[in-house]
Amino acid sequence: MSRFKSPVRRKADGFIIDLGADETGLVLRLIGELRALLTDPRPSTEAEALLVRLFPVAHPDDEKLEAEYQRWMRSELIQSKLAAIAIVEDALEGDGVVDEARLMAVMQAINSLRLVLGTMVGVIDDPDLDEVDPTYVESPEYGLYSYLSWLLEHCVRAVSH
Amino acid sequence: MEVMDPDLDQQIAPDHPWIVLVWNDPVNLMSYVTFVLQKLFGYSLEKATELMLGVHNDGKAVVANGTREQAEMHVFRLHEHGLWATMEKDGPST
Repeated sequence: MSRFKSPVRRKADGFIIDLGADETGLVLRLIGELRALLTDPRPSTEAEALLVRLFPVAHPDDEKLEAEYQRWMRSELIQSKLAAIAIVEDALEGDGVVDEARLMAVMQAINSLRLVLGTMVGVIDDPDLDEVDPTYVESPEYGLYSYLSWLLEHCVRAVSH
Repeated sequence: MEVMDPDLDQQIAPDHPWIVLVWNDPVNLMSYVTFVLQKLFGYSLEKATELMLGVHNDGKAVVANGTREQAEMHVFRLHEHGLWATMEKDGPST
């Protein structure tokens, strides 16, 4: 068995994201699905529910300020998330080499995917934090969520050391 | 890296009356929350870890304060990174 190499490693002039062909294809597919969700001009109620954690409430106690915040910031947030998606695609379709700013964008995109998948498998609503409905644990979505958690953890480790 | 270490819970300047809160949620990784707080606010690892543990153990923590515009920008940047952040005016509303 070959020695384990982290999928995200620091190198002299930045970082390398080294996922291998299968995982690269998987992440690119998920990222593409996230872009489709974010750019759908007429999202279904179900799709909107999946995105709820990507657009948190800023002013929970003030409807007027909240409406103002959403009016100005929601489109900015969408643009920011789409820019992060483009950076992931650029990196994974290229040589995987990124600087720190682009690695942070990659982390944002991975975390956006985790938030959507976490919503899908019910992690969000569970009153017992860090737990998940056992009926979901064996679902493909929970597998993807766990994989992306692992990948994000490696990003944090690479950029922190 | 500039390290800011204000006692946010203790000192809210009168001209910076808005506080920014990060709330606990079951999705965001503790290591990721710590990292984001370091990057966005320039906190040391120790301060960011302390705030993250406040979020995790107490359900929320005040991570910044400022004018309304400053607080909204902080909240926006936290939302960009997927953290559950809100803002409110500290003390009695005027």
